[in-house]
Amino acid sequence: MASLEIRNVCKSYGSVDVLKSINIAINHGDFLVLVGPSGCGKSTLLSMIAGLDEITSGELVIDGEVVNDKHPSQRDIAMVFQSYALYPNMSVEKNIAFGLEMRGVPKAERDKKVESVSQMLQIGPLLKRKPAQLSGGQRQRVAMGRALVREPKIFLFDEPLSNLDAKLRVDMRTEIKKLHQRLGATIVYVTHDQIEAMTLATRIAIMKAGILQQLGTPQEVYDTPNNVFVASFMGSPSMNLIPATVVAHQNSVAARLTSPQGNELILPLPQPERYQTWIDKPVILGIRPEAITDMSSAEPNNPWVFPADCQVDVTEPTGADVYVLTTLGGKEIVARMRSNCGAVVGQKTPFAFNMAKAVLFDPQTENRI
Amino acid sequence: MTNQEVKASSSRFWRVLIYTTLIVFAAFYLLPLFVMLITSFKDLEELRQGNMLSLPQNWTIAAWIKAWGSACIGLTCEGINGYFWNSIKMVVPSVLISTLLGAINGYVLTKWRFKGDRWVFALMLFGCFIPFQIVLIPMSQILGNLGLAGTTTGLVLVHVTYGIGFATLFFRNYYAAFPTELVKAAMIDGASFLGIFWRILLPSSGPIIVVTVIWQFTNIWNDFLFGASFAAGESAPMTVALNNLVSSSTGVKEYNVDMAAAMIAALPTLLVYIVAGRYFVRGLMAGSVKG
Repeated sequence: MASLEIRNVCKSYGSVDVLKSINIAINHGDFLVLVGPSGCGKSTLLSMIAGLDEITSGELVIDGEVVNDKHPSQRDIAMVFQSYALYPNMSVEKNIAFGLEMRGVPKAERDKKVESVSQMLQIGPLLKRKPAQLSGGQRQRVAMGRALVREPKIFLFDEPLSNLDAKLRVDMRTEIKKLHQRLGATIVYVTHDQIEAMTLATRIAIMKAGILQQLGTPQEVYDTPNNVFVASFMGSPSMNLIPATVVAHQNSVAARLTSPQGNELILPLPQPERYQTWIDKPVILGIRPEAITDMSSAEPNNPWVFPADCQVDVTEPTGADVYVLTTLGGKEIVARMRSNCGAVVGQKTPFAFNMAKAVLFDPQTENRI
Repeated sequence: MTNQEVKASSSRFWRVLIYTTLIVFAAFYLLPLFVMLITSFKDLEELRQGNMLSLPQNWTIAAWIKAWGSACIGLTCEGINGYFWNSIKMVVPSVLISTLLGAINGYVLTKWRFKGDRWVFALMLFGCFIPFQIVLIPMSQILGNLGLAGTTTGLVLVHVTYGIGFATLFFRNYYAAFPTELVKAAMIDGASFLGIFWRILLPSSGPIIVVTVIWQFTNIWNDFLFGASFAAGESAPMTVALNNLVSSSTGVKEYNVDMAAAMIAALPTLLVYIVAGRYFVRGLMAGSVKG
């Protein structure tokens, strides 16, 4: 059963459309991440789910009930803000209990719930302190405690990790994931960090300029991006997007690329029936850096791995791997090879293209073919 | 002399100059207060000798006692204590009510914005700068219609009305810097309109409350025009009584009693500054520097 449904939701400020007909549905226990660059409308959408922003048109449904006109406090949601928004005049304990107090929960029950939540988040020793006396990570925990204690139907997170330093961010990310697995809660989470989105989500909604670009599981979004924007936004380093031409090749279909030296590179495509109408037309070939490797790390039994010699422009060692840059179709492309692959700058080295992982985009509409 | 010594002596020269100037000016401004104080502790005999700046030969608080309890104001000779309480009865409710209303206005104008809220605020600001004299006649008419003419309640109403403008200005600017996310969080937590105000905003408003209270207290306590216009006779505030005391003396002019009465009239505002003055500066600076 759908826990949260967003049906044709639009938002406009005057004549400016901020969100255009958004449709998203998630189930109980789903972890939906709204991700996109600044100004894509993801935070506005979250505010609308919370009831802090009005919905211009469309319906917002929580557990089968349209909640468009319901006050935030009656939607049975809890929100963790980017700035944490802890009440500065109250102790940690009072902060966490405030929502319960406002709902008329008796003192004894409140204390019990605060106790159990503080135990879960390991903030027991901090209960008597004021927010100003806490570190960033501690404030973050208290903010989560304030949401958890209410046991709402949906948790909303608005870029909760963006104010933490890099190390703490990774730790808290894991902790949020653990929390989600333990509670089986429904979560809507806004971030601009695609790694956060990939690691946390069960469902990702990628947005750009008020339009939902793609909704799917992290793997779907990663492997089969709907368009060039999603392909380049998700993944780091981002997907290689190489101008190519579809050609007929040995009773099948292949992509033809040109190297800077004028050499042609023919890479056969899986699912040839899909690209029949595109023969002799230009396309954009999308292939992730990890699908281009050195020969020894390529899957030996994969019939779709094709070797090609390319000139190495730059190598970027990361320790575990080395990113090897070459030029194809007039574009710089990145391959991910083993650190001891022996690629030398200025010399040719064999690249193994795993074409099973390749996708094609229409250069006009930028949509996947 | 080495280069450094030259520098040191020159900076010393400037420091001495600055402090001398400051001390001279401070003395200049404190002189009237000094004369008032020592005059109030002299007896009439000594005053007649005319040494204004000399310390009293016989310290006496007789003038203070007389000013408080038995000086003649108009035809009654019961001192200024009754009028002192009039002022208290006028100032305390005026300050409390106008501060509270200003706080609620500031809260609405920043956190519950509505169409045209800027205009409402602009009009309130405009209200701050309307000269008192302009409103005297319409105000007296309204007070007359309400049956509050010549009463302390009427004066409270006038001062609250005038005070709302400044109080709103103070609180609006303070709350503009107050994170709106806190209000949103409280909304989701289920706090009501007034619940958010009482539980979240007001407890964090200490500095600006102090500023507003000091500002309102000083203005209302020192007000003469409204007091003289709308509260005659028995219900007149301290400032009006002081004026009457000074101007209605017959026969010998008792400067010592006048000065003592003036000191009594000034004491409450002085006291407020001494107790809360450092919060005043702190409140004025609030928001300008990230704390």
